Amino acid sequence: MSSDQAAVTGHRFSSVVPGDVTGSAVVHELGGMDLIMKLHYLRAVYYFAPSEVVDGLAITDLKKPMFPWLNVYYPLAGRIRRAAEGGRPFIKCNDSGLRIVEASCSRTMDEWLHVEEGGESRWRSLVPDKVLGPELYFSPLVYIQFTRFKHGGMAIGYSWAHVLGDPESATNSINLWGELLSGNPQTVIAQKNEENTEEPVIAPQGPAPALVPAPAPIKQVEIAEDVWLPPTHRKMATHCFRITETELQKLHGEQVPPFETISALFWRCLARIRSRREPELATICRSGTPAKNNEILHNKFRTSTIKLDSSAASVELLGLATKILKQDMDEALVDRDNSTGEQDFLLYGANLTFVDMGGIDLYGLELKGQRPVRVDYSVDGVGEEGAILVLQAPQRTDLSVMVILPEDEIPSLCRVLSSDFGIA
Amino acid sequence: MSSRAPLPQFSSSVKLKYVKLGYQYLVNNLLTFLLVPVMFAVTLEVVRREPEELLALWQALHFDLIQILCSLFVIVFAGTVYFMSRPRPVYLVDYACFKPPASCRVPFSTFMEHTRLINSDEKSVQFQMRILERSGLGEETCLPPANHYIPPRPTMEASRAEAQLVIFSAIDDLLRKTGLKPKDIDILVVNCSLFSPTPSLSAMIINKYKLRSNVRSFNLSGMGCSAGLISVDLARDLLQAHASSNALVISTEIITPNFYSGHQRSMLLPNCLFRMGAAAILLSNRRRDARRAKYRLVHVVRTHKGADDRAYRCVYEEEDGEGHSGISLSKDLMAIAGDALKANITTIGPLVLPMSEQVLFFLTLVGRKVLNTKWKPYIPDFKQAFEHFCIHAGGRAVIDELQKNLELSEEHVEASRMTLHRFGNTSSSSLWYELNYIESKGRMRRGDRVWQIGFGSGFKCNSAVWKCLRTVNPPVDGPWADCIHRYPVNIPEIVKL
Repeated sequence: MSSDQAAVTGHRFSSVVPGDVTGSAVVHELGGMDLIMKLHYLRAVYYFAPSEVVDGLAITDLKKPMFPWLNVYYPLAGRIRRAAEGGRPFIKCNDSGLRIVEASCSRTMDEWLHVEEGGESRWRSLVPDKVLGPELYFSPLVYIQFTRFKHGGMAIGYSWAHVLGDPESATNSINLWGELLSGNPQTVIAQKNEENTEEPVIAPQGPAPALVPAPAPIKQVEIAEDVWLPPTHRKMATHCFRITETELQKLHGEQVPPFETISALFWRCLARIRSRREPELATICRSGTPAKNNEILHNKFRTSTIKLDSSAASVELLGLATKILKQDMDEALVDRDNSTGEQDFLLYGANLTFVDMGGIDLYGLELKGQRPVRVDYSVDGVGEEGAILVLQAPQRTDLSVMVILPEDEIPSLCRVLSSDFGIA
Repeated sequence: MSSRAPLPQFSSSVKLKYVKLGYQYLVNNLLTFLLVPVMFAVTLEVVRREPEELLALWQALHFDLIQILCSLFVIVFAGTVYFMSRPRPVYLVDYACFKPPASCRVPFSTFMEHTRLINSDEKSVQFQMRILERSGLGEETCLPPANHYIPPRPTMEASRAEAQLVIFSAIDDLLRKTGLKPKDIDILVVNCSLFSPTPSLSAMIINKYKLRSNVRSFNLSGMGCSAGLISVDLARDLLQAHASSNALVISTEIITPNFYSGHQRSMLLPNCLFRMGAAAILLSNRRRDARRAKYRLVHVVRTHKGADDRAYRCVYEEEDGEGHSGISLSKDLMAIAGDALKANITTIGPLVLPMSEQVLFFLTLVGRKVLNTKWKPYIPDFKQAFEHFCIHAGGRAVIDELQKNLELSEEHVEASRMTLHRFGNTSSSSLWYELNYIESKGRMRRGDRVWQIGFGSGFKCNSAVWKCLRTVNPPVDGPWADCIHRYPVNIPEIVKL
């Protein structure tokens, strides 16, 4: 791991701000769901193969479209503020900007992507791993890292504070940047939302929220004062599996969609690995219904928690998958009133969480006709139960699975999957 | 009308206004008033007499042909000498200012965040925040790309890149507006105080635009924020020496190499106030340019207070205790600026003020010396000499001080304040941004007189007086084109950061 970090050097930091003045009183309110997600961070790495087009893009070419881009997505350039001492957080759209990191890697992209040994979390060196805090008022919400490989190729690391929006919002935002860079004439820049000049919401007075128990998908954790990361006692690590079309068909035939099949598969495997602490509860997380108004930044999920009476390992794969498929999804989390931000929660990892991101257009980031050859996607700030993200793969017919688990569980999981199912 | 100190009791009376107006009309047009009765008397005499009497009078003078021819010759000779010895008029054909791109924009919050990350000393950070709050700058001022890095990377290459960006943009704009061909440029004067590479910036321009090999080029460096008017003065002198020529004057300041990374308070101000800018001006003494020129240069007055040690050390570039080099501004900067301004006014006053003001000033001066030294010195009303004022946007304090000293209204200093807000302190080019503001607002009419005042290290106070030759109608192509409708803005005393 450390040799991977040592290979990426020459970090240079700068900032990019919106091209137009956003105004002195513009505020982006954080809704209840946004604050529930505040301890999570999305990390994405987009790999672009060596080509004349991509290697010909200088840093000024990469930065230039960000100015009009941030005119649309101006909350990304804001900073967290609190309404009063210890009050409800919101985003002050003060044009502070995104942080841009430039770095170079002493290995070629081929070496980087295809060396197997100890490479599971290699993507970490290509995206900043910063969180909000300890200086909350001066912490950027979004970081972008451009890493150039030896002999060409580039990795774009996109770090996004989940409090801004869900993976769909994040991916749409960076895809818009790609369109602006490519200069597509069809790109329509949405008008700035004029309604964002309201005063911060005054928290309604009511019974102390602590009395109301948290609904099952989320778990309350101790307050993260000025550093927005959950308290973790076990070190989390990641691993990425590629599941090809043939393997999928072997697993389920045609009866159950891929996401449910994969979730059931991993649930059973983990149940076998965690013999002492079997995961009886699992949370399924899907994208919420599309926003009715023009909100480009939103945290919308449909969640549901499944409780099993017996061990997952004992349930047959198809049955488990069908059970997941038939589960009623619930959007009620959105209404949870976390007005003063006195409670902090975790969604991913509160229970074993399966996130369906198959509909998110990760490979839609296009730079002058070039699309990524690979995208690594992960979440930081996941709870100890772990999370499984099901993502698009470079081949449309395949799927990628990124698992975020305590690091001692990963080797066992790999063994079980490869021996029983032939999945590497 | 504001009350004047030398006339205490009835100063607020309305009748006094008419007395003053009457006095001004009388004194300023004294010759006319004296001449009118004389002419009237002569006309009366002529009309009274008969034509034969006039003819007899004429013949009685016994002029013969030789005498008439000699007198005619003397008159023609005197007239020719007079016309030939007049200085060539210098016309400002047009000028262009650099408009910084949005990608160079530095909002307050970004500036403060970078300062906190670069500067480890909490007190310096707080100090810079207080300066920024009271600075009068807005959220759209721009710094060059190298200064957006944490920490800034002031390489020579980055400085040259900034110079090329600002100067070439301004020149391209000017060439487009005037239709000038680079090969027609006879004189080139560039001033940039803090960045002086080899080959010079003037050589850089000659190389890029392929100017003629016998172009007369000059590069002025180290002369501070008032160097713009020094360049204009130099160009004017050269245009007196060379007939039928034109001169391209470039005024700029390159910010990249001058970021101060230390903690000394007296050196932190330039970081907060100086921003990117450049102006390109085309001057000409050709008669055919008189028709399309915007302004004519009337006076340039330069005052140098460097002989005084305090003034000399007032703006001083040096290294601080830790070896970081920066420009140190002394605490009595405002007082010295006031002194320099007074010296400049004393020279320019007699050149531009109407007779009414000069008489009052002279009488008050005599009165103070002879009769009663307690009389306050009379501050001439420069508003009668000029319609527009361009005060170097060195900082809010400079503009406030000058407004007070010259007793100017808010509208007179509006151009300076708004330029400081939109573009920051762009050093020698700020006077041209201010002039462009006045034009963009549609306030520049034919016959208007403009007074440009620049201050700079040394300590220097330089003035230029221009007369407008044709009314400038908005919309005006320039750096204010896309934002003039938002101005003027109200700039609060302290901006809450």
